Amino acid sequence: MEKGMSKLLQKYKNIDKSKREKLEVSITIGLLCFILVAAIFVQIKTIKNATAGVGSFLKDNSGLRDELLTWQDNNEKIRKALENAEKNLEEIRTNAISNDTESKALEEELKENNKLLGLTEVVGDGVVITLDDNREIDPNEVLNISKYIVHAEDVVCIINELFNAGADAISINGQRIVSTTSIYCDGNIVRINGKMVGVPITINAIGQPERMYYALIRPEGYLDYKGYLRVMAEDGIKAEIEKKTNIVIPKFEGIYTNQYINNKEQ
Amino acid sequence: MKKGKKIMTITIGLMAFVLSTIIFIQFKTISSTNIVELENMREDQLTQEIVTQKSQYEETRSKYEETLAKMKEYQESMSTEKEALDVLVQEVKETNDLLGKNDVVGQGIIVTLEDTRNARISAEDLLILINLLNSGGAEAISINGQRMVYDSYIVNIGNDFIRANGNIITSPYIVKAIGNPSYLESSIAQKNIGFVDEKLSEGKSIEVEQSKEITVEKYTGDLSFEYVKEAK
Repeated sequence: MEKGMSKLLQKYKNIDKSKREKLEVSITIGLLCFILVAAIFVQIKTIKNATAGVGSFLKDNSGLRDELLTWQDNNEKIRKALENAEKNLEEIRTNAISNDTESKALEEELKENNKLLGLTEVVGDGVVITLDDNREIDPNEVLNISKYIVHAEDVVCIINELFNAGADAISINGQRIVSTTSIYCDGNIVRINGKMVGVPITINAIGQPERMYYALIRPEGYLDYKGYLRVMAEDGIKAEIEKKTNIVIPKFEGIYTNQYINNKEQ
Repeated sequence: MKKGKKIMTITIGLMAFVLSTIIFIQFKTISSTNIVELENMREDQLTQEIVTQKSQYEETRSKYEETLAKMKEYQESMSTEKEALDVLVQEVKETNDLLGKNDVVGQGIIVTLEDTRNARISAEDLLILINLLNSGGAEAISINGQRMVYDSYIVNIGNDFIRANGNIITSPYIVKAIGNPSYLESSIAQKNIGFVDEKLSEGKSIEVEQSKEITVEKYTGDLSFEYVKEAK
């Protein structure tokens, strides 16, 4: 070993001066690079350790995911069971009640009420509205990115305008709007009837097509505000409305609760 | 001399290459660390979603049991026709309560909003309030006697007044909601970020009161579909 070193040193001394300087420079640079690389490796290891910590967190997450899947499955099953029970109830009811006009009228009223409560699928003419975030905007280049994103409040206001224009039934991404519907922001998603709904948002509305169309895109005028969709579109959000025939609006998938309300006559 | 230069160039070039590769790898690692943070956020959402699913399951299950009970009542009444009519009358009454065709009573909260010298209550304020109360599980709501039904709307008419269900309403706006009073209140009363504090900071007057017995008035208009062609 020592012999080798001295041999190397001897060789080194034999090299002429300018060559020796060059070699020194390259060795220095090489060493610096080595140190840098080592430093980077240390850092990578640190990051890996950090992610490993979060990684074990992820395992917990998968447990939560399983739990969620189980509940979704339970919900699916109980909903199917309820649907079947409701069908059976209808049959049993028709068989049980007598054929007099009073009973038949009440049965009719019940069916009509269920229809108005949104418990049946309905078909009719109306409008279809699509809303989407403006994706052509660079978030770093605009002052207020919020202007280019569809908000829960926008959806609430559009629904309100549609009912003001005489809409009979409305759904948003398949969620039927009923009297107890809530539409709100939950982080970066919108929740409707407790279900998560993302952009693009499609609003189906049955009603008088021209009236609803005008209500949402009318220009500013006497006693009239500018149509809500016109405002949104001018602000840069992708907002479109189209008149359509035979729009299908699904039934309400949620449950009406009457835990707290009592009939006044009782 | 030429040989030394060559070795140096190759050494530096190689090192530069190794370095830039490593830096790229590290960039990738860092950006995936951000994704891991997103996964963290999802855990909140997962927990929230499980809670939602659980309560939906409970609601559906109790509705299912109710339906089974009604089936049983009808079946038992097959012999005596009088009773079947009673069950039917009860069913119709329940749907009328939900639709808004009957006055209903129950516990809940009363929110009173009033214009001040500085700020007026707008239709949007009321719309957002109704929406929040619904998220808190409200079963029936009215504003100044106007029952909120499936096709209700609230709009500003100029700057002067508000119309709800087509009827003019004016300040003070008394919003009555039947449901679990604590849930209802917590849906609007979170400190600083809640609806109540937000309206107060806008200079509007708002008061919330829990009550054991609230009457929510029935809808006075006509409830029917005009444009629906068929229903299944």
